[in-house]
Amino acid sequence: MTLTENSITEFPTLTPPSPRKRRKANRSSSGKRPGAWTYIIILALTAFFIGPFLWLVLAALKTPAEWASLPIQILPEQPQWNNFVDALTDMNFIGYAGNSLFIATTYSVLITLSSAAVGFGFARLRAPGKNFLFLIVLATMMIPQILTLLPTYIMFARIGLLNTYWPWVLWGLAASPYMVFLFRQYFSSLPKELEDAAIIDGAGWFRIFATIFLPLSRPILITSFLLSFTWTWGDYIAPALLLDLDRTTLAVAITAFYLDPNGNAIPTVQAAAAVMYIIPVLLIFFFAQRYFVQSNVSSGIKG
Amino acid sequence: MARKWTRYPKRTFYAFVAPWALGFLLLTAAPMVYGFVVSLTNFDGVSPRYKWVGLDNYIELFQDPDVWAALVRTLVFTAIVVPLTVGGSLGLAVIINRRLRAVGLWRTIFFLPSVVPVVAMAIMWKLVFNKDAGILNAILGLVGIPPVGWLVDPMVFYSLIILMLWGLGGGMIIMLAALQGVPQELEEAAIVDGAGRWTVFRHVTIPMISPILFFQLVTGVIVALQVFVQPLLLTNSAGISQAGGVPDSTTLYMVQVYQEFFLSGRFGYGSAMLWIFFLIILGLTLVLLRSSRSWVYYEVDADAEREGAVR
Repeated sequence: MTLTENSITEFPTLTPPSPRKRRKANRSSSGKRPGAWTYIIILALTAFFIGPFLWLVLAALKTPAEWASLPIQILPEQPQWNNFVDALTDMNFIGYAGNSLFIATTYSVLITLSSAAVGFGFARLRAPGKNFLFLIVLATMMIPQILTLLPTYIMFARIGLLNTYWPWVLWGLAASPYMVFLFRQYFSSLPKELEDAAIIDGAGWFRIFATIFLPLSRPILITSFLLSFTWTWGDYIAPALLLDLDRTTLAVAITAFYLDPNGNAIPTVQAAAAVMYIIPVLLIFFFAQRYFVQSNVSSGIKG
Repeated sequence: MARKWTRYPKRTFYAFVAPWALGFLLLTAAPMVYGFVVSLTNFDGVSPRYKWVGLDNYIELFQDPDVWAALVRTLVFTAIVVPLTVGGSLGLAVIINRRLRAVGLWRTIFFLPSVVPVVAMAIMWKLVFNKDAGILNAILGLVGIPPVGWLVDPMVFYSLIILMLWGLGGGMIIMLAALQGVPQELEEAAIVDGAGRWTVFRHVTIPMISPILFFQLVTGVIVALQVFVQPLLLTNSAGISQAGGVPDSTTLYMVQVYQEFFLSGRFGYGSAMLWIFFLIILGLTLVLLRSSRSWVYYEVDADAEREGAVR
């Protein structure tokens, strides 16, 4: 266990990569600017990472015949925007997006606040058993969620929580070990004079947490919210298990509808739905990339 | 730490950590215990009449060729994917860490796929891998390679690996931070001593970032072992109820578990499989942790670090 601890606590000492630092670090080690071969490799990698996106967008703009044509047709004759209309109307796209939005927002707000509180406890308060409890937090980061999900499903079925959104509320209230870890690191780094004045003024710990520490942890609050949100928006297995098709999330819905009369998926319409489905994630990513970088660097837990 | 902690009642700490503690007990520990109880029955998920079968499920499991096949397949899959992921993300980080033009753009492009939801990822790659209409076979066709069935046995196993490698960017970011954390003086000193770039990388950089490599290795193993949604979505589109549609070569252990649950209705047997898998993952993790002593370099004194961790 000691080693787990070491390897995990190692991470907060990393700082996010920054272009400025990179240049400085490399003046000596890499010397001259990289040559043409490096850029050829980079372009090949770019094709690998970006290619599937482009192919998806192109498929979303084709007619089914163009999509299936042999020899292969790269570009559509005319962009088929009605694929997007079909994607919105073949099923209740907006409704499912609303379900996803509701579940993801509820879960993310709750898990951020609960994890902040727990992280605060571990960072600023003391009581017997604290070290042991924190070891359990670290250990549970290693328990794959997928292992507990099936028994959880049987349990929730028993107590009538299937096909409700309560599981996400419960999971949200329960804090996430990973976010607890992020908050604890952050709160530990703040000077302890912060609470002293407030204690002298007679403020209770909850007020100290809510009015002093919580506002200070804005970057972690944002990181936690955005990460949880994109994670829940993208989660497939929990809604597929726990919710019926009429109450499920967009992630499950776009795999289950868009069928032709023979029950085969219509690839062009499904592609259009997938494009619309990932737009929120891409927007969050482009506008808040540094928070993703920060969270990855702070722990490296995300697979 | 000489902080006075008598200035508030102990229960304050417990109150603050209560959400996590209750959550752990009710939503992690309880399901695991409950799963163990179910694994001792022949519960089928619906009928209220089930009976205790003791350890029968566990005994059957050890003699079940399907379970063994899935387990071996999963271990092989992990043994291939994890080194490729750790090595690949390190390779990407090394490239990005050079004095490139437009480095922010490349970094964003490499990082982006790792945040794409798994459902969209599967839809995209199904279009790429499509035998007749997919772009991959079209490109291969240009150099005269006949169409490959990427989504059927046996190639789908490799397609799944390609899909996993597409998300390398998350690891790259971590490796990049690690590379930039290596003190410049060390690398400079080695170069002054006449070491080549590869020698510096191999004997200075790698040891310095070995804790991060190790952490990536452990989490990578845990993630790879439980891969489940990717094979399911890559080869059929109709959800959990059709876990049976997954080709043999991507029927990883967790896929097999879901088939026992939702195809065969054997909740007890599936729960036993989960418990055995939990023990396997735990065992592998402990073995890795033990092995780390011999090859992971910790700059920080272990005792000091321990104190820091539990402050």
